[in-house]
Amino acid sequence: MAGSAPSTIEAPVEETVVGTDTPWLVIVWNDPVNLQNYVVMVLQKLFGYSLEKATRLMLEVHNDGKSVVSHGTREKAEIDVARLHAAGLWATMERDRA
Amino acid sequence: MKFKAAGSGVVVSFEADEVAVLRDLSRQITQVLDGGVPDHGSDAVRDRLFPRAYVDPTEDRAERDFQSVVHEDLVRAKAHAIEALVQGLDTGRDRRGRLDVALSDKDVELWVGALNDVRLALGVTLGVTEDRDEVGADDLQASGFGLYDWLTYLQGTLVDVLITGLNN
Repeated sequence: MAGSAPSTIEAPVEETVVGTDTPWLVIVWNDPVNLQNYVVMVLQKLFGYSLEKATRLMLEVHNDGKSVVSHGTREKAEIDVARLHAAGLWATMERDRA
Repeated sequence: MKFKAAGSGVVVSFEADEVAVLRDLSRQITQVLDGGVPDHGSDAVRDRLFPRAYVDPTEDRAERDFQSVVHEDLVRAKAHAIEALVQGLDTGRDRRGRLDVALSDKDVELWVGALNDVRLALGVTLGVTEDRDEVGADDLQASGFGLYDWLTYLQGTLVDVLITGLNN
């Protein structure tokens, strides 16, 4: 993972509990206000993603209207959504129906 | 508005009317933040600053629980960023009618967050779209859009300062 991530940001924790919860997807939606470089910076800082990965996700949001930026249990997804809302990104969560 | 690199951080030099505008917007956003747990659908600006987490209407109960748990922290974080913006202006140095504001990387981070909320609120009010032609960012008094573009330039430049630090 990117060594440039600030140490205060917690790395996503992989859940090992099986069968108690359907995975949830955290989605960032396109927004005419948020700047592209700002979205890349937020994804790098919150999730520790590399510049390349954060840029790819930002371009998905920009070109396709949305992108799945993280996933996990309901609790983890809620935490990620709250952190994205704190940064001003338009994020929602939904069950992974795939 | 001018920018000067400053070791770790940046110095932003504002004109007097730019400082007045930033102070005014900070007061306005503070009022918007101060409205309790959001009642979605009743206020477009607050809906954007405090979005729903769940799109599925059958999760309304989870949505209410989510909002009641996170809202206070969210408001506190956003208010803290706005306070940092105002404090930066308060501690700026007057230089022949201009105000030089020296910002550390940490300050820049808080300013970028505060400016994002200000732009979200203004963008919703103006009905900003992605395909809009920019008006001259030089004349922040020309219209709401001139002000919006000026804020975009300020925030975008400060984000570049942070991105450079994040990837070096």
